[in-house]
Amino acid sequence: MSVMTSAHIVRQRLRRVPLSVIVVSIILAVIVLLAVFAPLVAPFDPNKQTLLARLKEPGFSYRGMTYWLGTDDLGRDLLSRTLYGARVSLGVACLSVVVSTIVGVSLGMVAGWFRGWTETIIMRLVDIMMSIPAILLAVLTVAVLGPGFMKLVLVLGLTRWPRYTRIAYAQTLQVSNLPFIKASELAGAGAIRILLHHVLPNIAGPILIVVTAEFGLMILMESGLSFLGLGIQPPSASWGSIMSTGRQYIERAWWIVAVPGFGLFLLVFSVNVLGDWLRDQLDPRSRSR
Amino acid sequence: MSESQENVLEMRDVAVHFGGRGGFFGSSGAVVKAVNGVDLDIRKAETVALVGESGCGKSTLSNTIVGLQTPVSGSVKISGEEVVGADSRKLNDIRRKVQMIFQDPALSLDPRSTIGATIGEPLLVRGIARGKALKERVGELLTQVGLRAEHADRYPHQFSGGQRQRVVIARALALEPDLLICDEPVSALDVSVRAQILNLLVALQKRMGVSYLFVSHDLSVVRHICDRVVVMYLGRFVEIAERDTFFANPKHPYTRALMSAVPEADPAVQRSKQRFVLQGELPSPANIPSGCAFHTRCPLATEICSTVRPELTPRPDGALVACHHA
Repeated sequence: MSVMTSAHIVRQRLRRVPLSVIVVSIILAVIVLLAVFAPLVAPFDPNKQTLLARLKEPGFSYRGMTYWLGTDDLGRDLLSRTLYGARVSLGVACLSVVVSTIVGVSLGMVAGWFRGWTETIIMRLVDIMMSIPAILLAVLTVAVLGPGFMKLVLVLGLTRWPRYTRIAYAQTLQVSNLPFIKASELAGAGAIRILLHHVLPNIAGPILIVVTAEFGLMILMESGLSFLGLGIQPPSASWGSIMSTGRQYIERAWWIVAVPGFGLFLLVFSVNVLGDWLRDQLDPRSRSR
Repeated sequence: MSESQENVLEMRDVAVHFGGRGGFFGSSGAVVKAVNGVDLDIRKAETVALVGESGCGKSTLSNTIVGLQTPVSGSVKISGEEVVGADSRKLNDIRRKVQMIFQDPALSLDPRSTIGATIGEPLLVRGIARGKALKERVGELLTQVGLRAEHADRYPHQFSGGQRQRVVIARALALEPDLLICDEPVSALDVSVRAQILNLLVALQKRMGVSYLFVSHDLSVVRHICDRVVVMYLGRFVEIAERDTFFANPKHPYTRALMSAVPEADPAVQRSKQRFVLQGELPSPANIPSGCAFHTRCPLATEICSTVRPELTPRPDGALVACHHA
């Protein structure tokens, strides 16, 4: 009985999902699948150079092999590089969002729950971090730590947490005044249990919205940093680094910039549309508008 | 009144103040004297009603009893154990003996936890029961409050207001407390559900011997359930009396005003009733009037009321009243 009703509810909800959301979900799924299965899908080794086939246009054939999206300045297949680059871009974005969510949300909940000097220290630190432009902070950190995949994740994760802290802090303040939190305290639950079992599930909605917004931003930041030469180092491909080299050949080989650029556009656009829709679903005020 | 019976709650000269300390920029806010020196004993299996208008310190007093609020002075003992100044471990032990029921059942249950998890939480975190034993105990508690054991897997939004309050009561009873503080437990409920919840509380008291401190502003509810009534005004008790004495012969002018505000079902009686209407608003607890705090609104007030504060004094019928004239 209850299974039937819940299935019914799911069906009803799905019917109300707008077409744009379904389309971007499919795009996202395709991008993620292509990135995950890049070694199976890619027609070439992304780092194999064929110097006789440099800067060839899409659809060019050489020795019986077709380069569907052309080649770059070292004769590497652009399709394969873009597919492998998606792994890096998605990987960095996912991991850095996870790192900054964990750091930011825990600090925010601690500040909102314990108040007092804990709150003062954490929230002033947030103010300081937020007043420095994120890209500048990232550039500085990379300059000190040096480039690399994990370092990039660390840099992005550790510069972006204040956003989550603000949200988690404000939400925790609100939730911790509700009687059910008081009741848990009376039941004998400790701070950690209350935060993990009662506060976190009740503040997850707004945090999820920040996560989707940040995810798109992280992909852009990774591309930006790689473009500046501070992210993924050659010969590994990332969308930013492909575009960075393609920039030099833009008047002779526009496709080097255009292919990863279009991928980036599709990915960020899809994540943002999905995030907007999710926000509307979770926030009753914006749903009624 | 008999000394032989054991008291589950003993409060002596409890005062709770807010603010007053100089702020960061040197501004010193006014001291809000929410509770201002009260004594209260509650015996085993007794129900005491705490009555007063909003802002008089009722909720502050109940928070103080469970240790969520620290008093500036005085002592609160629950079954002989001191709450004031207890460290968090001790406080946790004491809270086995005192639990609380809140006004709004919709807000006192975590919307993201099943009610089984909610009711079982006190038992789980204290290591009293786990696994299968916990499940059985939760089922027992649910049946005790008139729900079914299989309700444990549901979420609060699947229940009505009255059912939710039953869940809240089940959670409060999980630790088998000696004292249950009910902070307006039925004022958020439908009139039709109110009586069911009140009857449930009465039945549970008979079965388990639990005492209630029943915070309310609804005198009809108080009359239905309580043994003794305490009237609070601006942080002090102004009248304490056994229920029958209290309703038959209210003495303090504030009590009489509260009584005359209760509407009668019969319009003829209502029209002929001599209304005892108060002037003005409740003064701010940050600026309590001198002498008797009630003198600014009291129809009986004279010279002495604005200078000398009346103490609670016993009357021939056993009531304690703090008034110069009543």
